[in-house]
Amino acid sequence: MLAIDQLDLEAGERLAVLGPNGAGKTTLLRLLAGLEAPTTGRVEIDGEPIAGADLELRRRVGYATQRPGLLATTVVRNVELPLRWRGLDGAARRAAALAALERLNIASLADRKALSLSGGEAQRVSLARALAIEPQLLLLDEPAAGLDAEVRRAFFDDLERALGDRATTVVHVSHRAEETLRLADSVAVLTGGAIRQLSDPASVVRQPADVTVARLIGYENVLSARIDGSRQVLIDGAPCGVIATTGPGAATLAAWATAVHVVTPDATPLRATVERISQGPGRWELTLVGSQTLHAHLRFDQHPPSVGDLVGVRIDSTHAVVIRTRPSAPPP
Amino acid sequence: MDAVPEVLGRSALVSLTATAIALALGVPVGTWLALGRRRGRGVLATAVNTGMAIPTVVVGLVVAMLLWRSGPLGDLELIYTLRGMIIAQVLIAGPLVAGITMAGLQALPPELPDQLRALGANTPQLVVRLWIEARVPLLAAAMAGFGHAISEVGSATIVGGNIHGQTQVMTTSIVEQVGKGDFQDALVYAGILLALAFTINAVLTSVQQRAAAWAQS
Repeated sequence: MLAIDQLDLEAGERLAVLGPNGAGKTTLLRLLAGLEAPTTGRVEIDGEPIAGADLELRRRVGYATQRPGLLATTVVRNVELPLRWRGLDGAARRAAALAALERLNIASLADRKALSLSGGEAQRVSLARALAIEPQLLLLDEPAAGLDAEVRRAFFDDLERALGDRATTVVHVSHRAEETLRLADSVAVLTGGAIRQLSDPASVVRQPADVTVARLIGYENVLSARIDGSRQVLIDGAPCGVIATTGPGAATLAAWATAVHVVTPDATPLRATVERISQGPGRWELTLVGSQTLHAHLRFDQHPPSVGDLVGVRIDSTHAVVIRTRPSAPPP
Repeated sequence: MDAVPEVLGRSALVSLTATAIALALGVPVGTWLALGRRRGRGVLATAVNTGMAIPTVVVGLVVAMLLWRSGPLGDLELIYTLRGMIIAQVLIAGPLVAGITMAGLQALPPELPDQLRALGANTPQLVVRLWIEARVPLLAAAMAGFGHAISEVGSATIVGGNIHGQTQVMTTSIVEQVGKGDFQDALVYAGILLALAFTINAVLTSVQQRAAAWAQS
């Protein structure tokens, strides 16, 4: 269920909606596409309610879904189909369809059978079909969800290029922060059907509103903490090197793994035991266990400790953020 | 006994007409059962599935009682006519067509109707596109409907009455020959009936398999 008080989109704005599975992201897109009607409230495009709207309004919206939903015909005919439904004649439809395929670098696939395409190719065709109608509003529902990392990156490169400097308003939903943030002018973090934070991408990354948002953004370390009278942030009662800007109280410390520095045990009061070391892309990835689990990344040229070593931990405050824990409501 | 070409032509006329009407009625019903969201779908789907298994003599009996001169539709004077036989065969083939259409459309990706709506399809455009996507099972529905209609003997006998020169068809002729102990003629009729069924199904199967191969290649 969605419970959104108000969400305004400017023409040409690119909104990323970030949320975990089941947060209501797809429901939001279905409401925007006019495929579902809200039980209360309304969804409007240019001031007109989309639910129950005439076809002309719905046809201003392009929608690319998680599954490409291609039909058992050629690629170019798949892309032509929505143009046919909009009454374009044969030559104009073919030209527009080929142009849309060209924008996504897949013009060479035009005469292929759509059901014989690879996952990445099929998603590009699905996107070309949504773009071919030159939509006023483009809805993207995790369009690269089923693709491996490399194909996904290439897909978003092509998407970014295809959108170019067009004035199309875009709503892109995903549970992957890195994908949603790269296309966005603004980010809405959606959990449990409600918007937890709505701001520009940099603010969401640098100052997540709460623990849930911090986890969704991808902070590897989200730790229970306490701020003491001298504004030092304490992890398990030991200062970690971060100074808070607010007064004493319970807090959460969100820190990137690159902000967690491993030092000698006598250099800092915060200590942990090395539980696991593995090689990541261009780095060592360490799992450190005290009363809470921490994740640290070291460059390959840094000598890693051994599993079982007791180490000191210091957290770099420039890559960490203190989130004040909201006091729980008093019992009635 | 009528000449073979006359009986064969009558059989083909009755069964092809009944199949065409069964498709015209059964495909929309099956489509509504697959895509509709209104109440009553479950009951109708059960009725359709039951209709697929009803013995043809039972259909013949019910239709004959309705069309009997003293029955509720007796004034239409359809008993012992080709039209009456066609009505009975529509009731035999219709549930089969509706049931296979429903199953064929339900086998499509469940998100496809919404995806087509999101691309801007109105309801007729949506339904036609889904029929095109489900063309292989829809052709199977046509073949099954025709096969059921041309091969049935129960309703043809009861509703048509096997009247020479008027309502005798291949299946009722075979029954008549066997009744007279003339197995040779019965076998000739059976062979011709099989050839007719084979020819029509061969054409439909060829279209169906080309459609399937085209989509997957």
